[in-house]
Amino acid sequence: MKKNILTKAATIAVALLTVSGLSACGSSKQDVALIDADGDGVADEPESISVMATTILTENNGHAEFCAEYERLTGIKLTIEKPEHNQYYEKVGITFAAEEPADVIELGSTYYPSYAAEGVLWDMTDAWEASDLKASGIAMEKYIEGMRTDGDVASDPEATQRIYGFPNQRGNGTITYVRKDWMDALGIDEPTNYDEFLEMLVAFKDIGNSEVEDAHGVSFKEKYAGQQIYPLTVAGLISTESPYEIYLREFYQDARPDIHYDKDKGMYIDGVLTQKMKDTLLRIEEAWNLGVIDPQAISNKTSTCRDKFQSGIVGCFNYWAGTWNRTLDKNLQQKDDTAVMIPLPSFDMEKEYYIERPAIAYVITNFCQHPEEVFENFILYSHDGGEGQLLFTHGVEDVHYTVDERAADGTITKATALPTMADSNTEFEKSFFDAALSITEFDDPFEIDERITNSLAMFDADSILYELPIMDSTVAEQLPDVETSKQQLLSNIVIEKMSVNDALALYASETERQRSIIYQTLNGDYDEASVEAEIASLVSD
Amino acid sequence: MSQPVQKGNYDHIIVKKPSAWVRMKKYAGFYLMFLPVVVVLFIFYYAPMYGITFAFTNYKPNGKAAQFVGLANFQKLFSDPTFWSSFKNTLIISSVNLVLATVTSVVVALLLNEIQRAMVKKVINTVLYLPHFLSWVVVASIFMLLLQPNGLLSQILYALHLIDATSLEQTDWLTQKNCWRIVFYVIDRWKEIGWGTVIYIAALAGISPDYYEAAEIDGANRWQQTLNITLPSISNTILVVFILNLARVLNIFESVFVLYNSAVYSVADVIGTYTYRVGLKPTVGLPNYGYSTTIGVFRSIVSLILVIITDNISKRVRGYGLV
Repeated sequence: MKKNILTKAATIAVALLTVSGLSACGSSKQDVALIDADGDGVADEPESISVMATTILTENNGHAEFCAEYERLTGIKLTIEKPEHNQYYEKVGITFAAEEPADVIELGSTYYPSYAAEGVLWDMTDAWEASDLKASGIAMEKYIEGMRTDGDVASDPEATQRIYGFPNQRGNGTITYVRKDWMDALGIDEPTNYDEFLEMLVAFKDIGNSEVEDAHGVSFKEKYAGQQIYPLTVAGLISTESPYEIYLREFYQDARPDIHYDKDKGMYIDGVLTQKMKDTLLRIEEAWNLGVIDPQAISNKTSTCRDKFQSGIVGCFNYWAGTWNRTLDKNLQQKDDTAVMIPLPSFDMEKEYYIERPAIAYVITNFCQHPEEVFENFILYSHDGGEGQLLFTHGVEDVHYTVDERAADGTITKATALPTMADSNTEFEKSFFDAALSITEFDDPFEIDERITNSLAMFDADSILYELPIMDSTVAEQLPDVETSKQQLLSNIVIEKMSVNDALALYASETERQRSIIYQTLNGDYDEASVEAEIASLVSD
Repeated sequence: MSQPVQKGNYDHIIVKKPSAWVRMKKYAGFYLMFLPVVVVLFIFYYAPMYGITFAFTNYKPNGKAAQFVGLANFQKLFSDPTFWSSFKNTLIISSVNLVLATVTSVVVALLLNEIQRAMVKKVINTVLYLPHFLSWVVVASIFMLLLQPNGLLSQILYALHLIDATSLEQTDWLTQKNCWRIVFYVIDRWKEIGWGTVIYIAALAGISPDYYEAAEIDGANRWQQTLNITLPSISNTILVVFILNLARVLNIFESVFVLYNSAVYSVADVIGTYTYRVGLKPTVGLPNYGYSTTIGVFRSIVSLILVIITDNISKRVRGYGLV
C-alpha cells in the first residue's frame, strides 16, 4: 500500500515537472491595461511599461530606486532589463524570436534600421509630428529626423523613410586627444594638417629621450626609462562597425569605406575601392612603417587602448568626445599629475572632419499593446525638458544627486551628483541619457565639467552628422564576408607587408561575388564591366 | 498411445512469455526511476533537434515565422570560400591538436607514473592541473602580455640575437600568420596537458603489478616494460578517449576566439568563429539563425562521419570499436 502511494506520488511529480517545463516555454506576456491615472475620465496611461536597454545605469546603481521614482511621478510601473553589454543584441534577438520583446528597446544605429526593415517596430512618425514636444520647439529636430529609415517596404510600399526610433541622446563621436605636455617638451605647435600631424607623431617617438623636465622636475627621459612609448594607439585600423572610419580620422579624412551612395557616380558603391581609400591606406602604411602606430593596433581592444593612454605612455588617442574627456583626464592625472591632454580641432571641414554617428534609438515594438501611450509616457516624458528629463539624465534625488538650491516653485536650480551606490569613489554620471548630449533644450541644474563642454563644443563645430547605414536584407547577408575581407585588407598591408595595390586587388577579388550582388540590389541594372574596369585601374596605378 | 518422453528434451514445454504490459507492471519501480532520465533526454536532447528544421529556413530573430528556403542555406554555405577556409583551418588545427593532446597527455601520464614519492607526485599533478581551471579569457590575457611587442618572448629572442631591435618593438606574435598556429598549440597544451592526463593516470593505476614483476624477472628494462606492458594495457583507454575527442573535433571555438584577430583569419578562423561572426553576431543586420543552424548541421554530419570512420578503423585493426 505504502509502495503504491509512493509510486503514484512520484509519477505525479514527474508529470507535473514535465508539464510545467513545457508550459513555461509557451507562456505569453501579461495583458497590459490602460488606466486613467489623472482622473479625467480618459484611460490614457498603460499600467506598466517594460524596457530593455544596455547603456543605462547598472542594477546595483539603483534600478529599483529609479523604477520607484518613475512610478511615483507617472503612476506607471516600470520594469527594466539590462543584459550584459557584450550579449545585449543576442538577448534582444532572443526576445524577438520568443515573440516577447519589451515594449521599449534600445537599438544601436547598425541594428535599428535592420529591425525597422523587418517590420517589427512601431511607426512613431505621426505620433512625433503631433506631439507637444515637437510643438514646443525645444527638440533638436535634426537628430529625430536623422532616424528616418525604411520599414518593411515589401509589405507596405508606404513605409519609406519613416521614424521607427527616437534618439536617446545625440549620437556623439570621437575626437583626437593629444598630450600637450609632450608637445610643449618637444616644442611642437598644434598640428593644422596631416603632414604636421605625422611629424608630431614621429617626434613623440623620442619623448623618452627628452631631457626637458616636467612640473615636478623629473625629466621625460627619467620618467619613461624602460617603458615603451606609443605615439598613437588605436583598437583596429578599421572599425568593426559603421562608421568604419571613426577612429583614425587624420588618416581616413574623407574616405568612406562602407557601402554608400556616391553623388558623382549616381550609384551605390563600395567605398573601399576608391582613390580616397587608397590614399588612406597609403597614409596608414607610411605611418605604420615609421613606427608611430601602436604595433598591437590589430589585436587591441578599446579598453586596452584606454588603459595605455591613461597610464601615460600614449601621445595621441582618438576617443569619444564629452564625458570621456573628463574620465580619461581624471585617470591620466591619477597616474601622472603633470600630464596634460587636450582635444585637437579637426584640420579641415572639407576633408578632415570628425564624425557624429547616428544616435542610438529607443524603439517601441509592434508587440507593445499601447504604443501611443508608451511613446507619450516613456519616450516623450524622458525628453520633456523638466522632471522627466532630470530623472532620465541624473537619476533620483538623494540617491543619485543632492539638491543644492530650489526656486520658489520647487524647481531644482542647482544640484550635485552623489557617488554611485556601487562605488563611493565614483561620481554618478547618468541614468539613461547623458545630459550634455541632450536632444532638447534642457535647463540642466547641474554644473557640467568644462572638460566635457569644451570637447563637445569643439566636436560640434568640427563634426558632420552621418546618416543611418544602408539596410537591405539581401545586402546585409553579403556584408559579413565583406567585413572580414575589409579587416584583412589592413592587416595584409601592415603585417604581411603587401603593397597597397596588391592588397586592394586581393580585396577586390575576394569580394567580387558579394559586390556584384550588392550593386545589383541597390543599383538595379548597372554597368558592371565599367565598374570592374575602374577597379582594375585603381589597383594597378 | 502416447509417445514416450525422451529424457532431457523439453521442447514440448511451451513457456508462456508474459506480455509486455505484465513485465512493465512487474518492473514498474525501475521504469519509474528511469522515467526522469527519459523526460530529461527528450526535453533537452531530442526535442531541441526540431531546431534542425531551421537549417532549411531563413529564420531571424524578428518575431516573424521562418520562411522555408529549401537548400538555399546549404548552397550559400558551400559557395562561400570563407567557409571552406574556416573548415580547412578547423580540420588542421583540431587534428594537430588532437594528436598533440593524445601524445603529450600519454607521455606526461607515463612520466608521472614513474614518480615514486607520493608527495612530489601530488604537487606536480596539482601544478599541471591548475591551468585547466583558468578561463580562456584569462589565459589569452596572460599570453597576450607575453607575446606583445617588447613582451617576454620578444625579449628572450632579442637576448638570443634571434630578432633585431625593430622586431622587438614591433612584433606582436599573435598577429603573425606563420607562427599563430604554433603559438596556439603551445598555449592549448600548456592549459590542458595536466587535465588530459587524469584518465590515463587512472588507467595506469589499474595495471596489475604482476606483469611488471614478471617482466623484471624476464630481464625487461623500463623502456621495454613501457612498450610491451604499459602502452598495450592502456591502449583501449587511449582509443576511447581519442574517439570521444574526435567527435568534438569540430567544436573548437572559445580558445581560438580569444586568441585570433583579423591579421590571422586565413590560418585561424575556424567553423565556430566563422559561425559566430557571420551567422550569430554580424556587425550589420540581424543574426541569421537559419544559416547558423545550417553550419551546425553540416558540422554534426562531418563529426558523425569522422567518428564512424575511426570506429571502423578500430574494428579492423583491433577487432572491436566503441560504437
